Amino acid sequence: MELYKKPAYLLSEMIKKKECSAVEITQSFFNRIGNIDEKIGAYITLNNEGALKAAKVVDEKIAKGEAVSPIAGVPIGIKDNISTKGLLTTCASKMLYNYVPPFNATVMEKLISNDSVILGKLNMDEFAMGSSTESSYFKLTRNPHNLDKVPGGSSGGSAASVAAGECAFALGTDTGGSIRMPAAYCGVVGLKPTYGTVSRYGVVAFASSFDQVGPIARNVKDIALLYNAICGYDKLEATSVKKSYPDFTKGISGNVKGLRIGIPAEYFGKGVDSEVKEKVLSMVKELEKQGAKVIEINLPSTEYALSAYYIISSAEASSNLARFDGVRYGYRAKEYDNLIDMYEKTRDEGFGDEVKRRIMLGTFVLSSGYFDAYYKKAKVVAQNITKEFNHAFEECDVIATPTTPVTAFNIGENINDPVKMCAGDICTVPINIAGLPAISVPCGTICKMPVGIQFIANKFNENILLNTARAVELINGEAEVCEISGQEGK
Amino acid sequence: MDINVKHLAKLSMLKMDEKQLEKFEKDMQDIVKMVQKLPKIQGDLISLDPENPMILREDKLSEKPFTRAEILSNAPEEIAGCIVVPKTLES
Repeated sequence: MELYKKPAYLLSEMIKKKECSAVEITQSFFNRIGNIDEKIGAYITLNNEGALKAAKVVDEKIAKGEAVSPIAGVPIGIKDNISTKGLLTTCASKMLYNYVPPFNATVMEKLISNDSVILGKLNMDEFAMGSSTESSYFKLTRNPHNLDKVPGGSSGGSAASVAAGECAFALGTDTGGSIRMPAAYCGVVGLKPTYGTVSRYGVVAFASSFDQVGPIARNVKDIALLYNAICGYDKLEATSVKKSYPDFTKGISGNVKGLRIGIPAEYFGKGVDSEVKEKVLSMVKELEKQGAKVIEINLPSTEYALSAYYIISSAEASSNLARFDGVRYGYRAKEYDNLIDMYEKTRDEGFGDEVKRRIMLGTFVLSSGYFDAYYKKAKVVAQNITKEFNHAFEECDVIATPTTPVTAFNIGENINDPVKMCAGDICTVPINIAGLPAISVPCGTICKMPVGIQFIANKFNENILLNTARAVELINGEAEVCEISGQEGK
Repeated sequence: MDINVKHLAKLSMLKMDEKQLEKFEKDMQDIVKMVQKLPKIQGDLISLDPENPMILREDKLSEKPFTRAEILSNAPEEIAGCIVVPKTLES
């Protein structure tokens, strides 16, 4: 079997047993990228030199008999909104088309100290705003399961590259489902950790109350390996939680005996495809057969979650994106009459339509006369959603829902309908609002397109999520690298 | 609902021509209609998550200060170690 097809945990073992070198593994991935990325479009920037250099360091350490991290030498792809020192970080926007960060995000520092091999930077929706990766300024990313379909978003490049074997695992970010949704569409596993567990220092801010960094991989064990490496307190990040974490690779046997699974009716209602519903519920039945206990629960504020999410996230985005003014970094308009004109033209030319819509929505809901009717109300809804989840977790250990209401849609299908595009986020946004951890794991296919089941747990219970997801994996099998046929995208 | 897109664009520091304004006017109508779905509720706002109070860093020089050259390396226009912008004061 080609090296790029192997899961991260196996590559890690092979490096340690000297069955292959980190350099060989890295080359195998670059070959794979060279062969198929023209079709997939996952990468914006490749880090050939840096990756091979890091791989060599790992091989030297192994040769000297030094102990290395479990993720040492395992090639990883990074979403392009995570700052990488000396390597372009564009957020898939014209606004940052030339931006080379002078510093690393904390998650990058952590990966580097674990001797991680960074293959490159992955495509995404511009500034992580979108659900299909179609709002990228640079390129389209295609779903490896069907090149005419979107990979989901906003971490579409991350999920597609993992599914297509263009990296062993990847980092994404999740503000309203941006890790879980593309993971579901691409048939891989994606974890959105508890708010405050992974540092966002150096991650380009979208909506600071919701943004979280997390791993995407083809199996649960790889998710645990990567999550172990990136979680933890960071004094550079004000929302980082001071806490010690267990080894997440332990306790993922997939034993669900006695596990209480809550099923919220609100997540299986109108708008959710009946086949998706059936796949998710039949997986829950399988888990029940293995000793899990299924409980019906209610989360009545779910119907307001999408409104609350778009109001709060856009309000925060309008403020966070004020820094892009063409003065200190990034794009600057070529012709202007004065300073204000330079700001306005830079922002008009530098931002794409989706980003402009969110900035304007955010500006609207914060503006005089509308603040109480929109922003303040949305914050109260957010509070109620959190309370309802807290209440639900008195009765159950995890909550199971579909990750997305439908499977991956066609490229171009929703691009001119922003409201329809947003509706796909309905199962994932409430989790960000409540700051909870959630995982998406494949639970079957419809017309060859993957379906994801989402498990939600109480804060800091990632270990329960990983174990539950592992149980699904034991039933369904671990995801394998997608074969990319000669199939041409339109 | 009336949404003054021209005013919003101005507040957002976005220069838009008439054609763009027209397009965004329609989009904004649809989006605002979507987010209007909110319950009739009264409630108090909590300020911070008591389990996770944000603690700001002390306002002092960081351990790893950047060099001027590193910071300026991304500036669109630079002269003599300074970022260049259009004149902001009337002469």
